[in-house]
Amino acid sequence: MIIFRARSDLLAAVRKDLHRPHPFAAERVGFLICRAGRLADGGIVVLAIGYDPVADDHYLDDPRVGAMMGPAAIRAAMQRAYHGGAEDLGLFHVHMHGHYGPTGFSAIDARESRKFVPDFFHVAPGMPHGAIVLSLDQAVGLCWPVPGASPLPIDRFGSVGAPLLTWGRR
Amino acid sequence: MDSRLVSQSFLGPDSDTILARIEAGIVGLCGGGSHLVHQLPLVGVSKFVLADPDIAEERNRNRLLGSTPADVKAALAKTAIAERVIRSINPDAEITPRRSRWQDAIEDLRRCDVIFGCVDSYRERDDLERFCRRFLIPYIDLGMDVHEAAGSYSISGQVVLSSPGGPCLWCLGILNEKRLRQEAGQYGNAGSRPQVVWPNGVLASLAVGLLVQLVCPWHGSPQLAACCEFDGNHHRVETNRLDAFGDLPCRHSPAEELGDHFFTRG
Repeated sequence: MIIFRARSDLLAAVRKDLHRPHPFAAERVGFLICRAGRLADGGIVVLAIGYDPVADDHYLDDPRVGAMMGPAAIRAAMQRAYHGGAEDLGLFHVHMHGHYGPTGFSAIDARESRKFVPDFFHVAPGMPHGAIVLSLDQAVGLCWPVPGASPLPIDRFGSVGAPLLTWGRR
Repeated sequence: MDSRLVSQSFLGPDSDTILARIEAGIVGLCGGGSHLVHQLPLVGVSKFVLADPDIAEERNRNRLLGSTPADVKAALAKTAIAERVIRSINPDAEITPRRSRWQDAIEDLRRCDVIFGCVDSYRERDDLERFCRRFLIPYIDLGMDVHEAAGSYSISGQVVLSSPGGPCLWCLGILNEKRLRQEAGQYGNAGSRPQVVWPNGVLASLAVGLLVQLVCPWHGSPQLAACCEFDGNHHRVETNRLDAFGDLPCRHSPAEELGDHFFTRG
């Protein structure tokens, strides 16, 4: 089982940031910075500790997609994750679909994340990494638990605040 | 809406689904915990992690709801009694019983969406709350004590909803160095851990209410934090302590100190 938890005030800040218009990109993206814990069934609980938005000038102007990150964006995220071992952090790419309720990865989302997420293991090989799509009140996600593995769906999300919200497959 | 829960439909049209999805950890299954295992399945919670190392003993039977003389004779684990109680209400409940110290069940407890602590000592409360904070789990602490003062006894207790981002037991003064030092010598001062059933029932009912308002807020303004103090001599519950705390951030649990200290995969 893969569980993803974040404080509701952090998720609110992420949604607010992703909602901002960009000079040319159709949508914004960022990275949730995460730590993790082991679960009894061999699963993982991923815990968001912060959020790094992708800087305006780290986007590439590519009208074929909503947002295309340039190499500087990936480099900045990888620098954030790298702490030389035990203190390494997990990176979860995040963007938002502007509707309420359950959401999903578009074909482009899924294809692009499979290209760049595995690279995060080069700097933080011991941590899980992944990609998350937020809706205005829910989320869906993929987690790469180990280097070289196929991504697994995140089974359960928790938005920890008042109210306490949970959603997911289990 | 589950027909069993139709009388609580004011909690919201999806409240049965929301409550059924919640996985609740209960640490300590005697006094307060034995009330929780009755009430939580009744309101619709259907996933549980139960942690207690002990067996039912005759001296517990003044407060261990659901226990029988046969359980004592059979030296039945409190986890087994709790599981039986839950299944008598909801046969389909998903239950992870751990007859162990909670510290030996942490990889199951991390899965929980909320954890109730019904532990005996301040030291354990401290450890359990820190654990919950590290894994972004709201913690609902139940504590009760009987003290002797001037030849009579006073019953007191409290229920605290301690959520990540809100005040913790240290912020609220429930935990402090003096108490921990005193406890290291002796717990309470009215003999060997005096306990009675009715304050546990009051505190457990408040605790269940705090969970339900958190996940199915029926009044529009759910509380992230709460501190209900029970005066068992005057049969009153006060909630003033939280007012004194105000909106100050908790300085005991830094927001970035989450997860395993040294994460390794299983």
